[in-house]
Amino acid sequence: MNSKATSLADAVSLIENGSTVAIGGHTLRRHPMAAVYEIIRQGKRDLHLIGWNSGPDFDLLVGAGCARIVETSFVGISGFGLARCYRRAAESGEIEVREHSEISALDMFRAGSIGLPFIASSVLMGSDVPATNPRISTVTSPFDGRPYTAVQAVNPDVAIVHMHAADRHGNVQLDDQHWPDNDADAYIGWAGTKTIVTVEQLVSDEAVRARPEHTILPRDAVTCVVEAPYGAYPCACDSRYTYDLRFIGDYYEASGDQDRLREFFDHWVHGVADHTAFLERVGLDRLLAVSTHRGVL
Amino acid sequence: MTDVTTEEVMAVALSHQFGEKEHGFVGLGTGDRAFIYAVGIPTVASQLAIERGSDFSLQYGTLFDPDVAVIPETLGDPDLLRWRCAARVPVGRCLDVFRRGMMTCSFISGAQIDRFGNLNSVRIGRGELPDVRLTGPIAQADHAVFAQRTFVILPHERRVFVERVDFVSAPGYGEGRDWRERLGLPGGGPAKVITDKAVLGFDPETKGMRLESVHPGVTVEEVVDATGFELMMSADVRATELPSDAELTAIRERVDPSGKLLKAPVR
Repeated sequence: MNSKATSLADAVSLIENGSTVAIGGHTLRRHPMAAVYEIIRQGKRDLHLIGWNSGPDFDLLVGAGCARIVETSFVGISGFGLARCYRRAAESGEIEVREHSEISALDMFRAGSIGLPFIASSVLMGSDVPATNPRISTVTSPFDGRPYTAVQAVNPDVAIVHMHAADRHGNVQLDDQHWPDNDADAYIGWAGTKTIVTVEQLVSDEAVRARPEHTILPRDAVTCVVEAPYGAYPCACDSRYTYDLRFIGDYYEASGDQDRLREFFDHWVHGVADHTAFLERVGLDRLLAVSTHRGVL
Repeated sequence: MTDVTTEEVMAVALSHQFGEKEHGFVGLGTGDRAFIYAVGIPTVASQLAIERGSDFSLQYGTLFDPDVAVIPETLGDPDLLRWRCAARVPVGRCLDVFRRGMMTCSFISGAQIDRFGNLNSVRIGRGELPDVRLTGPIAQADHAVFAQRTFVILPHERRVFVERVDFVSAPGYGEGRDWRERLGLPGGGPAKVITDKAVLGFDPETKGMRLESVHPGVTVEEVVDATGFELMMSADVRATELPSDAELTAIRERVDPSGKLLKAPVR
């Protein structure tokens, strides 16, 4: 079996300008932030970002000028307020926004992950959402002649998710009592044409084979794996670490002003060579402060 | 008992809407008043219903029947993962509960609401570009379509209660009358709107929003002034029922002794 372990820089270089990129995670939870910083570092442009419930991941990418289209059910910085870069870009027309509800956003990934052309239901009927999104249309049931909403499958050019562990071959695992919201990321991972998975730790083949029921993405569904400890920071990562609200708050403040935003990117993204240098800049004290000290569930 | 708070009045008014058997969904909203409105008031209201004997199954996101007496200190992952509950289901299943039609009641809100109970959490302004870009439709759009009844909890302000929402992200009664039936929406639509000033319902025929009761110390005129459309009036606009001593004791001694649910600091 070939190794699928690679560097973050090489993994992110798979992303072409103008391509569709799905990003996992949920509000302030387990977004693949290390990969987000690297996308910004590599200066990707005109991306069509797709998510189901998005947060700082999308706001940073939009603020760095990487996005042209944003397609998700929510972009916000929970507990702080509106996502300010996203807000500015949507209000100026720099980005096009294609709306979803949580169900329709999940449906596009569910359909894409299981080989369906679309999923039909009553979702979003009577709302203005379908008019914003070419992926949402209507279909007539062959059984009762009634109209339903059809949500088209998505198979993004690249899907990126952050998980707990993987072996070098790309068999990706979640901890025992993993947070069930993570099944959205399994759909996203299975839907990707190419799928990049960052993990908290690369582990041995034996460690994976000792608990194969924890493998949520077998290597067939994975293009490459990247070891990125604290790869969701400053977002939370299940029982391993919680979010760093001070970091997120600092970002939220910086994102209100173009000059301060540039300083933020210069300091935290362009001013560090890679993820290891980023973690060194964050510092051990802050990383330990968000770690739970209570063992992994 | 003295010093009844507006939030206690709102929670008790909501609790009186519940029947003998309910399946309710509470989102995991964060941040001050948004937390009180999205999580605190529905949690207290449902616990009061449970104390009255209602068979109330509560879903907090992907958690079913969590131990509300020990609501976690933070909504961060490690704390949420340790919240004792009866079931933790995948998010796909959690959302399918709506689509399956099992949700008897859910609690939603938005930046704007109009006379037919349509909600907007997407954008302010109807031009090609938004004047203000908001967060997006999230799951509220799904509650609005699929829940048997939705309860809308909002601050009563003129900029919120508007003639016409700038974007329908969560449909109420659309253009009124039998609009939901004509479109084939499976859920029942908004049952009540509960604000910091009043309880409002919908006229059974036109489906226009109507004032049913005003909270203690609030006048009908104040509610009309804070509403940006012509409000219908119930035949008898009453005073919102004050919480009983037993209800206040339940809230203050058992359901929310720390004030975490109804008294979170407002920034």
